[in-house]
Amino acid sequence: MLMTRRICCVLLLVDALFGFDSFADDGTLLPAATSVRDAIDHYVQRAIAEHGVPAVGYASDETILRRTTLDLAGRIPTKKEQEWYAALTATQRREQLVDRLLNLPDAAYHLANEIDSHLLSNSPHNGEFREYLLWATTEKRPWDQMFRDMLLAKPAEGPLKGATQFLRTRIREVDDLTNDTAILFLGINVSCAKCHDHPLVEDWKQDHFYGMKAFFSRTYQTKKNVVAEKFFDEVKFKTTEGEDKLASFMFLTGDVVPDATPEFSDEVRKELDEKIRKAEREDDSEAPVPDFSPRLQLVDIALQEDSAAFFAKNIVNRIWARMLGRGLVSPLDQMHSGNPASHPELLDWLARDLKQHGYDLNRLVRGVALCEAYARDSEWTSTDEPPGEEYFAVARTRPLTPRQLSLSLQIAAASPDKWPDTDARDQWIQTRESLENQTNGWVREFEQPKEGFQVAVDEALFFSNNARIHDDVLRDSGDRLIGHLKGIEDDDELLTALWRGVLSRGPVDDEREAAVAWLQRDTEERVENIRQLSWTLLAGPEFRFNH
Amino acid sequence: MDETDTPADTAAEQAVVSSVKISRSFALPGAVFCVTEGDEQSQLYFGSSDFGIYRIDSDAEKPAPEPVSDSRHESYVTGLVRSGDTLVSGSYDGSLIWWDAESGDVRHRVQSAHEKWIRRLAISPDGSTVASVGDDMKTRVWNAKTADAIATWGGYELTTPHGYPSMLYAVAFSADGKWLATGNRTGKVIVRDSATGRVEATLEAPVMYTWDPKARRHSIGGIRSLAFSSDSQLLAVGGMGLVGNIDHLGGASRIEVFDWQSGKQRYEIEDTKLKGLVEQLKFGPDDEWLVAAGGDNGGFVSVYDGAEGTLLAQEKAPMHVFDFQLSDDGSKLRAVGFERASVVEIA
Amino acid sequence: MSEPAEFQHRRRIQRDLSRRGFLTTTAAGATAMAADMGQINALQSAAVTQQLKQQGTRVILLWLAGGASQFETWDPKPGAKTGGPFSAIPTSANGVHISELLPELARRMQHTAIIRSLNTKVADHGGGASLMETGRLRDPGLDFPDLGAVVARELGRLDSSVPDYVSLYTSTEGRRKGTSGILGARYAPMFLSDNMIPLNLAQLDAVSTVDHKDRAALRDVFAKQFSKHRNNAAVDSHMSAYQRVRGLMASEQLFNVENEPADVRARYGPTQFGEQCLIARRLCEAGVPFVKVARAWWDSHGQNFETHQELCADLDHSMSVLLDDLNERGLLENTLVLTLGEFGRTPRINASLGRDHFANAWSCSLSGYGVRGGVAYGKTDAEGNTVVDGEASSADLFATVLQALGIDHEHEYMVGSRPIPMADFGASPIDEVLA
Repeated sequence: MLMTRRICCVLLLVDALFGFDSFADDGTLLPAATSVRDAIDHYVQRAIAEHGVPAVGYASDETILRRTTLDLAGRIPTKKEQEWYAALTATQRREQLVDRLLNLPDAAYHLANEIDSHLLSNSPHNGEFREYLLWATTEKRPWDQMFRDMLLAKPAEGPLKGATQFLRTRIREVDDLTNDTAILFLGINVSCAKCHDHPLVEDWKQDHFYGMKAFFSRTYQTKKNVVAEKFFDEVKFKTTEGEDKLASFMFLTGDVVPDATPEFSDEVRKELDEKIRKAEREDDSEAPVPDFSPRLQLVDIALQEDSAAFFAKNIVNRIWARMLGRGLVSPLDQMHSGNPASHPELLDWLARDLKQHGYDLNRLVRGVALCEAYARDSEWTSTDEPPGEEYFAVARTRPLTPRQLSLSLQIAAASPDKWPDTDARDQWIQTRESLENQTNGWVREFEQPKEGFQVAVDEALFFSNNARIHDDVLRDSGDRLIGHLKGIEDDDELLTALWRGVLSRGPVDDEREAAVAWLQRDTEERVENIRQLSWTLLAGPEFRFNH
Repeated sequence: MDETDTPADTAAEQAVVSSVKISRSFALPGAVFCVTEGDEQSQLYFGSSDFGIYRIDSDAEKPAPEPVSDSRHESYVTGLVRSGDTLVSGSYDGSLIWWDAESGDVRHRVQSAHEKWIRRLAISPDGSTVASVGDDMKTRVWNAKTADAIATWGGYELTTPHGYPSMLYAVAFSADGKWLATGNRTGKVIVRDSATGRVEATLEAPVMYTWDPKARRHSIGGIRSLAFSSDSQLLAVGGMGLVGNIDHLGGASRIEVFDWQSGKQRYEIEDTKLKGLVEQLKFGPDDEWLVAAGGDNGGFVSVYDGAEGTLLAQEKAPMHVFDFQLSDDGSKLRAVGFERASVVEIA
Repeated sequence: MSEPAEFQHRRRIQRDLSRRGFLTTTAAGATAMAADMGQINALQSAAVTQQLKQQGTRVILLWLAGGASQFETWDPKPGAKTGGPFSAIPTSANGVHISELLPELARRMQHTAIIRSLNTKVADHGGGASLMETGRLRDPGLDFPDLGAVVARELGRLDSSVPDYVSLYTSTEGRRKGTSGILGARYAPMFLSDNMIPLNLAQLDAVSTVDHKDRAALRDVFAKQFSKHRNNAAVDSHMSAYQRVRGLMASEQLFNVENEPADVRARYGPTQFGEQCLIARRLCEAGVPFVKVARAWWDSHGQNFETHQELCADLDHSMSVLLDDLNERGLLENTLVLTLGEFGRTPRINASLGRDHFANAWSCSLSGYGVRGGVAYGKTDAEGNTVVDGEASSADLFATVLQALGIDHEHEYMVGSRPIPMADFGASPIDEVLA
């Protein structure tokens, strides 16, 4: 039994050595000049064709609009956006949609929200961190630069100040710092290398875990909440043979950074220790700064030419998973050749492209949003077995994040006429900002989706019985959806407005029939009928998921 | 004294205490909860958490505790008083024992003097009666020589308002022996006529309860000490103030002084510099000052002005102080506590 | 302009009457979807048979948050330097003595097995609680469920109309919600902290019962249209979450102790812990497989003995009444009562007369179902510094509890390609305390 676990843990990491530590040979990949979308289509289509997998057709225009707006702006489309899209006649309408969305302030907000929940899920609603992220995404700050900001965590004023939060929220637990950095930025879960040993490669994986840990073990926080580093510290561990061992600064690739810690006399050590102790305890004490910074070494080695593949592939894989419901490598923290990518060349190509284009995440997002796989229908109506998820032959139905759901609730619950033109940039920034603020009180009601996500019964109870749903979302004042609908006398017109407002599409015949029957069951209580009918859509799965 | 001092200055200096100094400290066996003097004020008897009673010469070059007897209580010894050649001790085991202070022979033993822990004893100034308080919430009065039970008084709820067992910690006679005051966990003081048991006054010091209804749902405080002024007009009540984290004794040391007959609070002291429970209190000669001792993880001895409660002098003690004896002239305080004793000079 | 409340109410009743039966056919179609539920349990087969689930085995965890002292509860050392002031008293079990602070429990030792030899090493609150809740050290790469979620999954019934994991933690200090980790939100605790009536169980006055039911039925019609061609476990979980709503709403009254006869309430006594033990009994009686009642906060760094006089009195009385009540109702035959905290307390008594954190030699107890009562297992040395016999880890305790419930502790959950046994590697159940 013990053996099973060891082997299974170990494989992950040994494989990591060979599979993911470099970019593939350029010669075998599509040319760098290929567009992102063409490269994706090429590789995805090739796999589908090679395996004779049946693929579904494209989703409806309405579905594409909703899906893309949720993925790029983090919310459902407004009435004006629906009208704008419906009026487009050009053959390039998807490009127009994607480019328009990426130019909205919403794109920066949404990307910031996504990175926030990715990196700081353990301490949500961190104002400083959110401020940093929004600044960075608005400035289109490259991802490698953001990695530097967060891991170097230099004292700063202004929006950069919040970048320190990634470290500060974990600073008491070096193991968390080590694991989370490896998982979230590099796609590798090293935690199982902590206490086990490999049967063939002696000590390798413990060296590896403790090697990563060594980069963080000198990091501490001063009384003034500055992230600082000590001048010396050694990570020691016990091998499974019971031997005491000193960890070297070892990156995931197995590359070791030479320890450039200077020799200190006992006297100097004492003096430095005292200074650090003071910095940890006293408000008016500055932390001394060592010349050798292991964390800087980690950032450098993670981004250097021959080892940056981990860093680039991780973010490619995560953005891909976010938009297509499954990573090219799945699970997301298991990047190793024992768990190969479904489309290894595509992953290589995208990682190379991202790096060559200055880690511009929007370029990647745009390419994915325009590819064929992204636009497929999410229903599988055939009686045959559906194709494997790894072919991306059917679009995945994906739960909304708490933020997407909360924002969409706010959009849907208001009168559709309330929302200004999103192209009026200054006005819309204000609207979006206040929407973000309004949703702060809602996001905690919902769970952040993870792999294997299930909707909790708490959520169903919340929608069914919480006063905020009834008194806020379903309020019937003039500025609300219900208030808007109750002013519409014609049932058909009303239902179209309701379905468009909530589901971003018109009702189909069956729905129209059931809904008309509902509206007519007690004509005296029309407002109540409208309210409860609206509830059936807002509490429904079609609203809850991106499909 | 400096010869250049004017008579007025001298008078002022004599009137107030300006320094509290630990002159010596020495080790004791276990946590020592109670102390009483022998005929010589330097001769101390004390009761310990090792269940034993000891004597020690606090002026000796190397003070060494010597067991009074081979016999012991069955739990912590928490009360000890002396009447002539008789020592009376009380314990968490619920029993009272009358000892021959010299030979250590047990003269009387009342096995179930209280149904629960005995918390403290007090002896009347004339040495004739002993009062005991315990967690059965009873106050009992005993003949200091014969061990006969004289009276049993209640007046306290067995449980706190929150449904937990209450505790009756403190008892003190007035200097004229006429009054007997007791204080419990929830901050209720009862003053009785010590002869008849008639309740003369009931006072409330609810802050000392320290009940935490939200975070930790228990309490840590209670009235731990009581002292009458020498004119019997004032009653000082000691304990701890509100504390954020009641896992620790981190609250202000707290004293409330009452003009007890009118029920009016004269002043209150919240000392956040040296924190913790006020375990023992005494008024100095002529009630000009009031000395308090106690502690948290460490300990303190603090002297306050007797009329207004302003701090005159204080000193950290090397241990949490549970009890002390004050010399008649008020110049020397002999404190016992957690594994240590200290001699404190008050000037 | 709004109508007077009474008038609104009458209108609502009229409406209810006029609407009764709307969508009856669709409502009938929306019965429990056993097939859909099956998809949610993607983590391999269950470790216990359906038959065991039907027996209605239950667990009540009395969580002594902050860490109770073993000296003042299950492992007294009267007279030892470290023993403190309390004496030990005999119990209804031959030769087993416990602290005098637990006199009522002493008379009920025939139901209870004590483990005196826990050595769990982790002596900080967060780490200790996580360790004792999950039976293993925290593994940042693996979000292992706590005992409640494991029991909820293994002993809960999919068609149950009561919650399967309820967690009560009223004090704010050290409050922990509990986690279902890899088992997913389906097995997350219904968590009660400030209010003992769960949130969102009560129907709003503004929504009539008929509307509430009918709109749910219409919602299901639309929802099925959506989920029909989507073979998606998350979408299915959305459906089953909504289908549990009405059933759970019916369980609201279980949380209301006002529904108990006055003499029963009086018996449980005036403390909040007592009242919550009564809620736990009500929930168990209704078939809730796991109820955790936390009594915080035992962290007696100062005044350990005063603290334990308060809290042990609470534990002694509340737990005794709970055992009696369960026994009288025949529920102790299938209910395991586990009394546990994150660690014990130091032998050394500090200057504040407190005891500090200590995880190297401490105690817990198991009562009722699956337990050999009247047993004191394991031994510490004369001063309680170390375990000298029968050392048990958190994993061993976890295995013991699972075994007592009839769950194979070696059963594995598959997490990706990683098999994770229910009790950590190397765990062995303590047979001596098992019936």
